[in-house]
Amino acid sequence: MAVKIPNSIDELPTSSPRFIGHRVKRVEDTGLVTGRTEFIDNVSMTGMLHCAILRSPIAHAKIEKIDVSAALDLPGVVAVVTGEDAAKWSHPAASSPDGWGTYCLPADKVRFVGEPVAAVAATSRYIAEDALELIEIEYEPLDVVSDPVAAMEDGSPLVIEERGSNVMLQRVFNWGDTDAAFAAADHVFSEKFRWNRLGANPIETYGCISEWDPTELGITVRGAFQSPSHMALGRAMTFGLPSNKVRMIAHPHGGSFGGKGGVRGTDVSLLLSRKTGGRPIKWIEDRMEYLAAGGSQAWDRRYEFSIAVTNDGIVTGLKVKLVDDIGANGEGFGAISAAKPLAAFTGPYTIGAAQYDLSLVATNKAPASPYRGMGPPPHNFALEQMMDIAARSLGIDTAEFRRRNFIPKDAFPYIIPSGNEYDSGDYEAVLDKVLALSEYEKLREEQKLAREQGRLVGIGVASAIEPGVFDWNAYAVVGVQGTGVPEGATVSIDILGKVMVRVGFALEGQGQYTLVTQLVADYFGLEMEDVSVTMLDTASAPPAFGPGGSRLGVAITGAVLGACDRIRVKMCKVVAGLMQTEPENIQLMDGVFGIPGVSEAQMPMAQVAGTMLGASHLLPPDVDPRPEATHVWTAAGRTPVDEEGRTKSYLTAAHAVHIVLLEIDPDTGMVEIQKYVLVDDCGTRLNPATVEGQTQGSVAQGIGAALLEEYVYDEDGQLLTSTYMDYLLPTIHDVPALVMGEVVTPSPFSPLGAKGCGEGAIHTTPAAVMCAINDALVPLGTRANEVPAAPNRLWKLIHTARENTSSD
Amino acid sequence: MKPPPFEYEAPTTIQEVVALLQQHDGEAKILAGGQSLMPLLNMRFARPTALIDLGRMTDLDYIREENGAIAIGAMTTKRSVERSDLVKSRQPLLHASTTWIAHPQIRNRGTVGGSMAQADPAAEYPAVAVALDAEFVIAGPDGQRSVAASDFFITYLTTALKENEVLTEIRVPVLPERTGWSIQEVARRHGDFAMVGAVAILGLAGGSCESARVVLFGVGATPQRATSVEQALIGQAASEALFATAAEKAAEGLEDTISDVHASAEYRRHLAQVLTRRALAEAAERA
Amino acid sequence: MATMKTVRMKVNGVTHESEVEPRTTLVDFLRGPLALTGTHVGCEHGVCGACTILVDGRTARSCLMLAVQADGAEITTVEGLATPEGLHPIQQAFIEEHGLQCGFCTPGFLMSLVELLSENPDPSDAEIKDVLGGQICRCTGYQSILKSVHSAIAKLRTAGVAAQPPLA
Repeated sequence: MAVKIPNSIDELPTSSPRFIGHRVKRVEDTGLVTGRTEFIDNVSMTGMLHCAILRSPIAHAKIEKIDVSAALDLPGVVAVVTGEDAAKWSHPAASSPDGWGTYCLPADKVRFVGEPVAAVAATSRYIAEDALELIEIEYEPLDVVSDPVAAMEDGSPLVIEERGSNVMLQRVFNWGDTDAAFAAADHVFSEKFRWNRLGANPIETYGCISEWDPTELGITVRGAFQSPSHMALGRAMTFGLPSNKVRMIAHPHGGSFGGKGGVRGTDVSLLLSRKTGGRPIKWIEDRMEYLAAGGSQAWDRRYEFSIAVTNDGIVTGLKVKLVDDIGANGEGFGAISAAKPLAAFTGPYTIGAAQYDLSLVATNKAPASPYRGMGPPPHNFALEQMMDIAARSLGIDTAEFRRRNFIPKDAFPYIIPSGNEYDSGDYEAVLDKVLALSEYEKLREEQKLAREQGRLVGIGVASAIEPGVFDWNAYAVVGVQGTGVPEGATVSIDILGKVMVRVGFALEGQGQYTLVTQLVADYFGLEMEDVSVTMLDTASAPPAFGPGGSRLGVAITGAVLGACDRIRVKMCKVVAGLMQTEPENIQLMDGVFGIPGVSEAQMPMAQVAGTMLGASHLLPPDVDPRPEATHVWTAAGRTPVDEEGRTKSYLTAAHAVHIVLLEIDPDTGMVEIQKYVLVDDCGTRLNPATVEGQTQGSVAQGIGAALLEEYVYDEDGQLLTSTYMDYLLPTIHDVPALVMGEVVTPSPFSPLGAKGCGEGAIHTTPAAVMCAINDALVPLGTRANEVPAAPNRLWKLIHTARENTSSD
Repeated sequence: MKPPPFEYEAPTTIQEVVALLQQHDGEAKILAGGQSLMPLLNMRFARPTALIDLGRMTDLDYIREENGAIAIGAMTTKRSVERSDLVKSRQPLLHASTTWIAHPQIRNRGTVGGSMAQADPAAEYPAVAVALDAEFVIAGPDGQRSVAASDFFITYLTTALKENEVLTEIRVPVLPERTGWSIQEVARRHGDFAMVGAVAILGLAGGSCESARVVLFGVGATPQRATSVEQALIGQAASEALFATAAEKAAEGLEDTISDVHASAEYRRHLAQVLTRRALAEAAERA
Repeated sequence: MATMKTVRMKVNGVTHESEVEPRTTLVDFLRGPLALTGTHVGCEHGVCGACTILVDGRTARSCLMLAVQADGAEITTVEGLATPEGLHPIQQAFIEEHGLQCGFCTPGFLMSLVELLSENPDPSDAEIKDVLGGQICRCTGYQSILKSVHSAIAKLRTAGVAAQPPLA
């Protein structure tokens, strides 16, 4: 019998859910507020050594000679590894597009500042760092290419010579007859945009303790893994091991946002473990390592956008040209973040034809990594600017312009030109609500008055889709080998009816253990305290991918409810046997199994579990006596990539409209956000407090993206923002209070109708802030097309516009 | 990010401090509050053979009024300055400038002497010292000497302190009557080092600018006096128009304006004018 | 190796005496020999605030102090907030108002708030932001942290207790 996973909260076996859909306290928090949660750097092991990594100070150079003898002579130093060891014992990173991976320690040349070249294992991190200073390396500098446009030209220095070019991928995708749409358009608008590098920056950097097992020829790594199973597969490929010989033990970690990184450091520490005969090697990435060469950097993009528009303000075609600077190689999965926009290429709009001219280019900069949103936020930023440009040119209010182009609510499920399917939505309802909440008309009137006073006040209205619940098929488009993304859970009930749920991902911050607890408690009519969640390592956990691509909330809901259903079916058989009836006559409701309407034929779940475990001789012969089940959930209906790159990749499509009111100080270029209102629709809200938290945090990161955060390289490939003095994370002063509202259009496809919402607002916030900035700049006739809109950039635009006006 | 090895000394008298400095022959560093030095040590950008920790020099932690000046011991924390009623009432500019410095957690440990000796060109205290004609009391092998603020800050991160000397006190004149003050700055985020800051002190008599002192920070290697602005003000009737005209001269005479990832030299020179104008207007209101 | 120094400090009411290398940062000393791993390391250059602790009742970045500087000091870390009877009101408030997500930065926030609320039991939002401006959280966007602070203020007022555990 097929496993039954409810598509709606109403279908849960409870007359009134007490936890799901409610703002429940998180089960994760007591350990965190008391400092007891076991982050990886809290762990020590017998015989453990500490690793420090020597990194290249030069962006591009041949390694002529490495002399580690003085380092080895330092008391406390146990081993040193270099590219020689990497070549002997490992393979180039498998996470890159084919042929673009490099060794964790290069033997031949360095390709970016911060690239590891050697590493030390010593009795303390202090001594390990002392030893790094004793390693002598002779470099022969090579010409540096730090600009991707220059990198595409013939004669450019080559980052990876064997490839013969710096272009990792160049492809034009055509979906529908874009040329015809543009030819038929009443208006065509074009603009260039620049999105500068930024990145995840969780407050905990990456860390691990790596062990090579010289007898079993396997490895065990404890660490801050976002996706333990995925890290395990990568290590198996890098070290040429069967995947069953790789065991990853994930620890709770201090945020990831896709950019936890850590692959190179893990591999380097594994080389050191092998060289020391299997001693545990701890590597805790420090903040400067993270900033220069961790999973820190993403989305370094140069865009050209064109849209075709009718006189009525309907957008009929979209052309996007992207040069994506991936850095020295694609090892950090940076390449696939240019593919994800295919999942929502045309946003929430009915745009019927689109073209994507994509170039992924290598340069002598840190390899690009994933970051929350995985690629669409810059795309959305540019698309939303185009919507505003068109609206203004046609004299249509920017909110109204979006309304005209929204996919109507009766058109779902809706397949967009780039192939993905949106599950459901009511975009107009979201817009109406946010307009009302923000008192939009009033804002426009206030803006009018401010403009009359010469003040630069702007209102941004931006709308975007958050693709949720990713599938690897989305990334086959750019040649990155994929795997499936199963999510499993084992639900196990003990003899007293208490529940243990075993999962394969560690606490990361999104409150997923709380969600699991809510689900099981409501399913079996228990208290939250009756359910506990345990993380297992990759050798013992059910198949799992973990958080990523706004998927885990939905996926783990499917897994847990699937496992609960399997137990329910088993228990129904047990109860039917005891009550001498057929299983289909037995129903579970509010934690009690029984025959509906027959009050004497009722058995609490704990009693059923107790009977199964304590008196299995009473069970019908064909019933497995364990009140336990595992279910592995994957999204149904995903399709392989077709010849134009089209695929049904993401299962859900959440939607949001944000409205921002801000003022620019024309004398300083400083931006003050005065009002921030948003309404979103991510389907059923399983824990509204958690959803809100994800949204608020994602708005903050979006504001960082729009105004503050940027990795700056000079033309020699030197990173100029190598500390938190210069890479600017938003503080409490930078993030405004939010007014938030919700519309709930459940997904017809997902467990309980929930949609992926973890990545959330970063899809929309940078677009909304930039729309507001450009709205403020309208009276000056200038535009800000570069992110972040740092004060010196805005001042320069304003200053130039004023000079041009005064010289006219 | 672990510091390199060094010896550690924790003297309790000035004589010991000076003797230790001499003993280490210029290779030792003085540790005051550590809020600038410790990051440099963690990054291994600083490599002293020894740290001479002034943390036990409790007699360098004081704020008192003496002879028309506020005398502040070098080891007085910014927190103490921020909370000092004496500073609030007698030298409110010093109080106000303190609130711009980093965050409370840093001000709890960062010291006045440490900031002055660090001489970061974007820091508030050196600019305030120059604006107020503060006096720096220095102890060395030959005893005590004092240096005017205008002579103390030599260049980027460099002061008049010799290798064997230690700053012991900063004497800040109290604000004269009918004198207004202002400190203005633009930083990327609240608490960051200023991209540009301006300090203005304006003495008004009968509506006319009797004295003026304008100091800019974050623009060059040291706090810079905007003398052309000052000259344009003296003897003129205070008005917004005057401040605007005078402020236009703020970028004159700025040498080697800093350009970095946050602000170009051109932007900084512009901000110098904007902040000078704002500082003058606010100072005039307070005068 | 540099000359070792003996340091003696009282941490969460317990006296420790130990030999340390002078270069050992206070946070490494707390997390290593003292095994108080609740204080976290986020940037090691004083910006993020994850390692904030109380030194003689005042917040300090423990990455910007050497263990030797804390000789003779009384130190409170996050482990010193809860008692066997239960969580500190600020800890409770953070749980109730969802003032944390990954929780890595949380101990630093809590310690900064212990100092603030013991000195100023009824701070304005501006005063709260002045203090929390020195603590970076990458997860929450700060909104729920502000709510948590207001809840903590109310809890402390109702309980009639000081935010800071008394120094011994």
